[in-house]
Amino acid sequence: MAGMAEALAKERAAALGAGRHGHAVPYLGQRFGELRQECLQAGRLFHDPSFPAGPAALGYNELGPSSFKTRGVEWRRPTELCASPQFIAGGATRTDICQGALGDCWLLAAIASLTLNEEILARVVPNDQSFQDEYAGIFHFQFWQYGEWVDVVVDDRLPTKNGELLFVHSAEGSEFWSALLEKAYAKLNGSYEALSGGTTTEGFEDFTGGIAEWYELQKAPPNLFKIIQKALEKGSLLGCSIDITSAAETEAVTSQKLVKGHAYSVTGAEEVNFRGSVQKLIRIRNPWGEVEWTGKWNDNCPNWSGVDPEVRERLTRRHEDGEFWMAFNDFLRHYSRLEICNLTPDTLASDRYKKWSLLKLDGNWRRGATAGGCRNYPNTFWTNPQYLIKLEEEDEDPDDPERGCTFLIGLIQKHRRKQRKMGEDMHTIGFAIYEVPPEFSGQTNIHLSKNFFLTNKAREKSNTFINLREVLNRFKLPAGEYIIVPSTFEPNKNGDFCLRVFSEKNADSKVIDDEIEANFDETEISEDDIEPSFKKLFGQLAGSDAEISAFELRSILNKIMAKRQDIKSDGFSIETCKIMVDMLDNDGSGKLGLKEFHTLWTKIQKYQKIYREIDVDKSGTMNSYEMRRALEAAGFKLNCQLHQIIVARFADEDLIIDFDNFVRCLIRLETLFKMFRKLDTEKTGTIELNLVTWLCFTVI
Amino acid sequence: QYNPEPPPPPYNHFTNLREILNKVLSRHQDLKTDGFSLDTCRSMVAVMDNDTNGKLGFEEFKYLWNNIKKWQCVYKQYDTNQAGAVGRAQLPEALRAAGFHLKEELCQVIMRRYASEDGSMDFNNFISCLVRLDSMFGTFKSLDQNGSGQIKVTIDDWLQLTMYS
Repeated sequence: MAGMAEALAKERAAALGAGRHGHAVPYLGQRFGELRQECLQAGRLFHDPSFPAGPAALGYNELGPSSFKTRGVEWRRPTELCASPQFIAGGATRTDICQGALGDCWLLAAIASLTLNEEILARVVPNDQSFQDEYAGIFHFQFWQYGEWVDVVVDDRLPTKNGELLFVHSAEGSEFWSALLEKAYAKLNGSYEALSGGTTTEGFEDFTGGIAEWYELQKAPPNLFKIIQKALEKGSLLGCSIDITSAAETEAVTSQKLVKGHAYSVTGAEEVNFRGSVQKLIRIRNPWGEVEWTGKWNDNCPNWSGVDPEVRERLTRRHEDGEFWMAFNDFLRHYSRLEICNLTPDTLASDRYKKWSLLKLDGNWRRGATAGGCRNYPNTFWTNPQYLIKLEEEDEDPDDPERGCTFLIGLIQKHRRKQRKMGEDMHTIGFAIYEVPPEFSGQTNIHLSKNFFLTNKAREKSNTFINLREVLNRFKLPAGEYIIVPSTFEPNKNGDFCLRVFSEKNADSKVIDDEIEANFDETEISEDDIEPSFKKLFGQLAGSDAEISAFELRSILNKIMAKRQDIKSDGFSIETCKIMVDMLDNDGSGKLGLKEFHTLWTKIQKYQKIYREIDVDKSGTMNSYEMRRALEAAGFKLNCQLHQIIVARFADEDLIIDFDNFVRCLIRLETLFKMFRKLDTEKTGTIELNLVTWLCFTVI
Repeated sequence: QYNPEPPPPPYNHFTNLREILNKVLSRHQDLKTDGFSLDTCRSMVAVMDNDTNGKLGFEEFKYLWNNIKKWQCVYKQYDTNQAGAVGRAQLPEALRAAGFHLKEELCQVIMRRYASEDGSMDFNNFISCLVRLDSMFGTFKSLDQNGSGQIKVTIDDWLQLTMYS
């Protein structure tokens, strides 16, 4: 429970390699090896306290506690379901994955594609587990989650009805890796129901850390067959589906036995000689493990007799396993979408593959600070996080007359599926790309301002703003520097995101942000410089001890503030007055003398002036998006993260920062800068603190 | 009496948190207090929030809830003359009873920040101060992973850790 320290500790761990594959972060701090050892020693089977086998794990609405679908569900371990359960029998195969009573075919299609690549599968399904050796009712899986790998443990209690698995199961009936994998993925997303509805690309990315593109088959590029073949050779994962026009069409079966609104995987693409001509064929798999295409080139199609027997033997299995061939033309006609997941260099260990170069940038949008919305909102758009990419080398593609650097940009929003049960869903997201103007070239410490965006047009944009987990587009631009601005469509939407840039050649990236800086007036004045009238006033205010306490200060300032019409204020809080006294109190008396009070008074007057100037609409209050400018006027340059913190701490629900909070924020900032400078005597930029010093500085 | 379990969400925003906590407090006749101030609630959310969305998760709320439960017992015990505040003299001992053994230097700082004019501390400030102390202990611990007793921070880290509290 360490607040921002937790975020910082995580950042530091990531810098040391945590979250890369091979250093997966234990999800919820649960470590598989340790937990299994504990259970083995205690001689008991694992009960997962963080994902209890009960109604909440199933769902919240259609699979909610009192729903029809979950009536009579019993949680059973595989050892209670069959005599000799296997984790993986005879290697993981595509037939291990048959869909149950959950609309997560998109996920199952992704799992099915996974089984085609042993290397990738072994990363998701570690092979150090079984029902025979060291069995303790605990299993683990590794998923990619927005830029890092996490290791998720589950106990093996699975939801069943009448002795049958409710959700995914294998055709064998005694093989459980796929059902346990589904459970681990459900845990990661909060419940089984949270998995309902999605695109195969989402599953692809979570199993590989890759980046997924899709093609509308009605507008297929002429070289698509080649692209598919190349992708299969590259170890990319492929899925396809038929669009539906209404919810009623979901899983409707066409006369030729193709299922609409259902996720298939593409498992092969071959050219065969058929009666003297070349025929392009594509192999597709239905994750149900049944219901196959009955059109041309189906398993029993007479066409096969016109193909060389050896080839025929290699390509067909001729039984109802959900997998079938069809002509590529028919595929283009009947299917609507093809999804391809490109793998990252770290996934493709083998040198056989041509690899992408990958850049990864994490960030967030925060209401009132950095959730600026899209270009339609010019007053706030500029507050969104900004990223610089430098494209250095052009593609080497002799066939392509158009020169430039090819790259893919993927903007992915984090954790939204998990928040569904809180009534949240995907935000509508997108991004814009700007050319860096020559005068800014090479600089990374200046957050581009409102004016820049008012006078410069985007060079490229994401195709659309859309409410999907990821928005992705392929671009080709001349080498140079570009700025990417990711945003939600409307402003004020809280969200976390990861921006990925896949480029054919090397590229470089930086977060563009203001460098932290503070310039405040520290000149000491002598008592002689203070006007007599001020001295007199102070004498009256301070009373006999000639000093002002925080409590006295409060009543003095509030009397003065009450006379001002141009700043709406309920006066100063005692907390603000205390930190004001604390900052200026040089002798530790807890009170202010004449000189200190004079300094404070000068500051407050300066702050009033800034507050009034920033308040363009003369409402007497300040909007949080204006805080960035106000802080700058007061001498502080801060980064996006700190602006977010400031809004979260000092703005009210309507994103207003009142004068008391404005002053409090500035005084606190100044105090913190002074403390830091005092400790950083050698100006190394880093300070070292022990516990007592730390507490003395931070409890105030 | 306090419910054994925290109430269900939502409780996450600071105004909301204040409402919930004060509703519970109002049922305690023996606890002399005007309830939590908005500022205290903001600060409580701030020190526990790890992603600046201004909200607490269930686990964080439960942690806070249990601490308040524990510390209000301490408070009652040290509000000896039922004045609605812990007196200056009792304070170091009350903090000790709440689990914090502090040097005099630190006690002084705490007094300056949380005590009222007469040096006593009311319930709102008492809890506010303990939540802050507890969290800053936690912060230190989580950054001092090798247990050296020293932490290193840059200006970015420093502001990030201290502005939001």
